[in-house]
Amino acid sequence: MRFVIQRFLLFVAALLAISVVIFAALRVLPGDVATVMAGLNSPPGRVARLRAQMGLDKPFVAQYGDWMGGLLHGDFGKSLLTGRSITSTVAMRASITFPLIALGLVVALVVGLSLGVAATLATRPAARSCFHFFGIVGGSIPALWGGLLLILLFSKGTGLIGIFPSQGFPEGGWHDFGGALASLVLPALTVGIIDGASLMRYTRSALGDLLSSGYLDQAMACGYTRRQAVLKVGLRLAMPQLVSVVGLMFAGMVTGVMVIENLFALPGIGSGLVTDLGNRDLIAVQSELFMLAAFFLAVGFVVDVLHRLLDPRLKSSLEGGR
Amino acid sequence: MPTNPGAHGEDGATNNKTSMTSNQASGPAASQPTDAKPTDTKPSDVKPADAKPSAAASTDETLNAHVKGGSGSVAGGAGKKNGGKRHWIWLLVAAVVVVALVFVFVVVRKPKSQEAQGRQADTVTIGLKLAPTNLDIRNQSGSALDQVLVGNVYEGIVTRDSNNKVIPSIAKSWEKSADGMSYTFHLNQGMVFSNGDKLDAHDVAWSIEELVKRGYHDAESMQNFKSATALDANTVRIDLTAPYANLLWTLTGRPGLVFDQKAQYDPKTQAVGSGPYTIAKFTPNDSITLKANPKYQGANKAKTKTVVLRYFGDDNAAVNALKSGDVQVLAPVTENLAEPFEKDSEHFTVSAGDDTDKYVLAMNSKGDKTGDKRVREAIRYGINHKELIASRGGADKPMGGPISSLDPGYQDLTGLYPYNQAKAKALMKEAGYTPDHPLELRLTYANTYGTELGDQLRSQLKAIGIDLKVNVVEFSTWLQDVYNNKDYDLSLVDHNESHDFSQWVNTMYYYNYDNAQVRDFYNKAMAASTDKERDGYLAQAAKQVSRDAPADWLFNYRITTAMRKGVKGFPLNLNQTLLPLYGVTYTQVGK
Repeated sequence: MRFVIQRFLLFVAALLAISVVIFAALRVLPGDVATVMAGLNSPPGRVARLRAQMGLDKPFVAQYGDWMGGLLHGDFGKSLLTGRSITSTVAMRASITFPLIALGLVVALVVGLSLGVAATLATRPAARSCFHFFGIVGGSIPALWGGLLLILLFSKGTGLIGIFPSQGFPEGGWHDFGGALASLVLPALTVGIIDGASLMRYTRSALGDLLSSGYLDQAMACGYTRRQAVLKVGLRLAMPQLVSVVGLMFAGMVTGVMVIENLFALPGIGSGLVTDLGNRDLIAVQSELFMLAAFFLAVGFVVDVLHRLLDPRLKSSLEGGR
Repeated sequence: MPTNPGAHGEDGATNNKTSMTSNQASGPAASQPTDAKPTDTKPSDVKPADAKPSAAASTDETLNAHVKGGSGSVAGGAGKKNGGKRHWIWLLVAAVVVVALVFVFVVVRKPKSQEAQGRQADTVTIGLKLAPTNLDIRNQSGSALDQVLVGNVYEGIVTRDSNNKVIPSIAKSWEKSADGMSYTFHLNQGMVFSNGDKLDAHDVAWSIEELVKRGYHDAESMQNFKSATALDANTVRIDLTAPYANLLWTLTGRPGLVFDQKAQYDPKTQAVGSGPYTIAKFTPNDSITLKANPKYQGANKAKTKTVVLRYFGDDNAAVNALKSGDVQVLAPVTENLAEPFEKDSEHFTVSAGDDTDKYVLAMNSKGDKTGDKRVREAIRYGINHKELIASRGGADKPMGGPISSLDPGYQDLTGLYPYNQAKAKALMKEAGYTPDHPLELRLTYANTYGTELGDQLRSQLKAIGIDLKVNVVEFSTWLQDVYNNKDYDLSLVDHNESHDFSQWVNTMYYYNYDNAQVRDFYNKAMAASTDKERDGYLAQAAKQVSRDAPADWLFNYRITTAMRKGVKGFPLNLNQTLLPLYGVTYTQVGK
């Protein structure tokens, strides 16, 4: 229990530190939202007036205080440009990004675990080379290029086999469930196949280590076949490692999908962040980044705790010397 | 994390005796044999005689070979009961189910808004490029906002036609006093806002007064403004302190828009206007849905119930959307990507329309290096405009000065600095530079214009002795460095506004251009009592600006619009700044 409390306090401290870093880093960027709003041909007075209206003329410490004060009340503020509550905007964007990540993760798990196990069990040199090749190539394809390739192959209207939409999200959002799901297929495949290749390499290496370490021999000595030993014992033993990898992968996908969302014209968190940053809508950007950072840290926290639960040697520290 | 799977023999066993005391983080504790103890299998392929008690599990090779032999031979046969096999089957089934589900949704799903052939569609979807970030037309700059709202959601006291000429809107007629100091507008009757409030002369006068008093966007273009007064419910008079020849045209834009003084709404996310459409849904940077305004009383009643505007930052994405039928119109379509639509004339029409976009290559008139007029002239002679235009598809028009063909005061100035490399080299040599000892210049522009233009200019100017460093930045950075701080040598911007010659008389503008004679011509033009007189002075001013070479006008961008056959009433001219949608209809023809 002490471990969980320690980790949680660390989580809160890290969040505070990150909020300062985000706030300071964004203030260094050239340009500001008032200039963007006023545009070309505006008299200098208008920019100053807009800055005052938006509270951009206050000292940085006061601006940071306002922002943090809002955060403590669970209020992320309003976007300077769109005038909408950032919480609701992020929620709207997250309703696209997180299903996309979840689908991508499913694809990655199916591809990564199954091929990882198959690569471990493969005995023919030709088959092993094939798996090795996929692991290297699949993992090193840039997401943008992979996405373009899938568009060329499967995009409705332009692809060789036009079955999936490749642009945008349906007007009705998730009310048009089929349309919404269809529009996420290609982006999810892009994310999933690339990350799946990495997961496959991890799985194969973890299982390979186990095979060479003798634990599976023990299982086989007890009557398991090699395949059973790998699937039933090996996977379970490799689970703590794989959970860490999948956790990191999940967090990494949040940033990874930025490129993908722009490519597939999905109005998710990633593409929104790019737009807001371009417009210097700093209040929106800092809140979005803060949420992402909190999410990353939360994933790390959960992975750490899970790791302890799954790894019997570490489990005792969770139980606090029971 | 090692990525190299441990080398092991075909049977997976190793002779590494130390492995049992391995201390790898990933391995289980050696003292936990129960972890590796099978609990639920009775493998049929292991003969009872061979099944040793698990406590005596060992890495004995013969044993393992024996066990493996069994598994190898029965893997296929006994596989049905084999846990591994089951895993595979489940994975396969899951994958098939997912794929099947997706197929059902995608393939079997009825395509949305599939209209019966020959019947007019209830919804038309239009693909555009630049998205407005909010709807606050009084404060937020950007022509994307004018494009959506002016004439569709908000109406002005007057508006313009597709040739950029002033025509009636809320006012049905007007007259100008002989001294050019006051304008009287007679309004249509029985007009209402979309919330049901009546629209009369008081709203008109209040809107214009508010604009000037609060300094809303574009207020500064209401030059010499004195007051706007409602003479009665249907008559408004605008008084000036001095004649201003551009007043009527200015009122076709944001300064002339009429707002409901009683309405309470958040202008960033909502709109209450008197136009033929209302905003039904607005997703910033993605799409805007317009619904026909049921309360609209004017002459421009919406012909299509719903118009969806979708914004594509990515040109390829936009083209895909038109091909797949997600949008029926694409404006603009990048000309180099329009070819498939031009070829498929059975289903698509592609046309170019005129616009007032000027791609201005500004040369800092007070810059260290570009302050030298010879350098600026050399650049103008050294740019091959035909080549630039051809590489973009050929629809754009060359222009030799600051006024586009749709604006007052236009004349063809392309003869002033024709492409002439020899002359350019001579001027550069005079200034002290040759291709062997080039002059280094920075070209700074926003990433919205892509990288091709910068690359082309670099290669064209290299030949005359200029080493161009192309610096593509975010628009906000451009605003800060170039526009605000004037820290640049060369800059590139698409100035798409119409009637924007005043930039050249504003000495504080980022051009750093200052010519008293030009200011004098301009002031005379604005004080002129007839359009002809105004246009004459403007033409002289423009010619003088072009001669001074404070910039090169790369081309007048023409908008290429691609649409499905069956789309009617979509404006081609000026459609990036003014896009009246009331007449747009779509009737599906052919397959």
